[in-house]
Amino acid sequence: MMRRTYLTALTAAAALVVGLASATTAFAQQTTLRVFSGGANQRPDLMRKLFDQYQAKNPGVKIDIETGGATSELQRQYLSTVLNAKDSAIDIYMIDIVNPAQYFGAGWLEPLDSYIGKPADVLKPYLPVYSTSNVVDGKLAAMPAFADAMFMYYRKDLLDKHGVKEPKTWDELAAAATKIQKAEGNANLQGLSIQGAPIEGAVCTFLLPYWGQGKDFNDASGKMTLDKAAATKGLATWLSMVDQGVIKKNVAEVKTPDTVNEFKAGQVIFAINWGFAWDRFKDDKDSTVQGKVGVMPLPAMTGGKSATCVGGWQWAVSAFSKNKPAAANLVKFMSSPEASKFLAQEGSLLATYQSVYTDADVVKAVPWFKDAANVVIAGKSRPISKDYGQVSDVIRTTTSAVLARTKTPADGVSEIESRLARVMR
Amino acid sequence: MATATAIDRLRDPSEKTLGVMLLAPAFLLLALIVVYPIGKLIWNSFFDLRLSGGSGIKFVGLENYALVFKDPDFWNAAKNTVLITLITVPGALVVGMGLAMLANLPFKRKWPVRLALLLPWALPLAFAGLIFAWFFHTEYGVVNDIVRRAVSPAEPAMWLLRPNWAFAAICLTIIWKTSSFMALILLAGLQMIPKSLYEAAEVDGASKWQQFWQITIPMLMPSIIVALIFRTITALQTFDIPYTMTKGGPGNSTETLAMLIHKTTIDYLDVGYGSTLAVCMFVLSLCVTAFYLKRIGKNA
Repeated sequence: MMRRTYLTALTAAAALVVGLASATTAFAQQTTLRVFSGGANQRPDLMRKLFDQYQAKNPGVKIDIETGGATSELQRQYLSTVLNAKDSAIDIYMIDIVNPAQYFGAGWLEPLDSYIGKPADVLKPYLPVYSTSNVVDGKLAAMPAFADAMFMYYRKDLLDKHGVKEPKTWDELAAAATKIQKAEGNANLQGLSIQGAPIEGAVCTFLLPYWGQGKDFNDASGKMTLDKAAATKGLATWLSMVDQGVIKKNVAEVKTPDTVNEFKAGQVIFAINWGFAWDRFKDDKDSTVQGKVGVMPLPAMTGGKSATCVGGWQWAVSAFSKNKPAAANLVKFMSSPEASKFLAQEGSLLATYQSVYTDADVVKAVPWFKDAANVVIAGKSRPISKDYGQVSDVIRTTTSAVLARTKTPADGVSEIESRLARVMR
Repeated sequence: MATATAIDRLRDPSEKTLGVMLLAPAFLLLALIVVYPIGKLIWNSFFDLRLSGGSGIKFVGLENYALVFKDPDFWNAAKNTVLITLITVPGALVVGMGLAMLANLPFKRKWPVRLALLLPWALPLAFAGLIFAWFFHTEYGVVNDIVRRAVSPAEPAMWLLRPNWAFAAICLTIIWKTSSFMALILLAGLQMIPKSLYEAAEVDGASKWQQFWQITIPMLMPSIIVALIFRTITALQTFDIPYTMTKGGPGNSTETLAMLIHKTTIDYLDVGYGSTLAVCMFVLSLCVTAFYLKRIGKNA
């Protein structure tokens, strides 16, 4: 009797010890990763779904999500503060395409080479633009999350009605817009809507007609190669469209959502905006242009070639994270073709892999990806610089001032050159 | 033996020791949140401290200060800041005085007047800036709507895209926002003036105008000085309203010193030069405050 009790107690104790031990190991393997996942336009709801998929496959990992900042500038200000304080609370950051160089230069990002692989091999299957913007000093600074680009949206119905073909150059566009504006006789109908307020979009407003002449703003090493005559001509092109009544006079006040809202209200024939606008035109209840919208490549300058401004978001691991291997593993998953396909199908977020654009499931879910592919592949990256904050500020402030006609295009371009000569060398 | 005396001394401190002990917590707190940051700011201003450069931190002595004096952006921002101060401080004083006099009238119900006084003051600066930015918007703004209906339906003015108009719009917004603070302080001062002074003046045949200049203003002087000091210091630090209305634009024609410091440190990540600019602004505020304190000394 006595002996049996003793045995039972022993077994119970042993079971307890084993149980405790396994509980401890489970506890030891449980890693919590905190991810900054951008603002509402970066679709944290879809990212959460991907994180759930990852958690299901990796029971030891729990992923917390943090969101904030409606615009790229607001997010940059927030992240600069957090990272400057060497905060280890956040392991992974979603950052705008323009930021890897600056953040890596500041020592805020963990190089991913030893976790994921050599940049040249790893980035090969992605769109070409990402292999330049995510490699800093030969190291893998970040991995592509999803793409974005400036698109030329247009009113298919109005072009068809007035027998106008998709314009290939800016001059053709101005002529087409003027023809439609005259025929419609609506004083509120704008020919073209671009962003002229001093926001990030204005950097693209400066670059589009400049690139459209086949010029580059910087070489591969980041040195500025500004062709002043071409840049002046680019800005003058916008102003001449203002004079012709194609672009509205207060263009220097126009922000990204203004273009979206005015196009939705049927007041715009051609509009330049990011990829997210497509869903707004198509799905929003207050959109008066549902089913009337087309997408085409951006016009070139006469004798030049079409080029657009590529955006998009990247995953980066914090240099101050305490869980770098686990974080890098998650980043690898989030930048995989499966994740890219999921985001394309579920949220029509543009894919970072060329192959996804022709994937049968994706084309079925988002037919306009066929048109989008050519635009994105022809896309160029904004200047890559460790001082991008300054580069962006100088270009957008000056562009806005030129569009407000407080500076001439030539003066504006000279100012851009002299202010950036020090930082982009 | 020695410890015993030390404990005794703590238990029954001399007046001097007690004073030190009582002041110590406040002094330590101030040292931590005022002296240390200012010291660190001045320290940083002697370094080339660019977070984006990756070139490391380099001691550069007074080089940053030499750059400030050659920097046209600094002089532009300093000019704008001083202009905003020179326009909005007297502007708010005049409007605030009017509001205070109005609120001091013997209304049957005092609360609607006082509420109207308090509202602009209670509104966050950034909200005021955003609201007025909408007012002055070329197409959607109420200002242009009124102009269109009342004056002429011609070409709408682009208020915030013309440097001088944008500057005027910002000053107007600041005056609207800050005159209620002026009015509150002046109202408190007005209520301290004994009625008997006005009665005596009336007996002597003084007009309302004479009463205002001979009684109200002199009796109100201490309140006016206090209000002016506070308002001037906050005017030198103007940031929120121009930032939300124009972001310093068009170009940098409405950029203030505080905005330039913010841009240099947060957007450009140039902490060294940003600190230098901040020290310059600190010196400017210090000079203005010293000037006022000296004037008060004379008055007292």
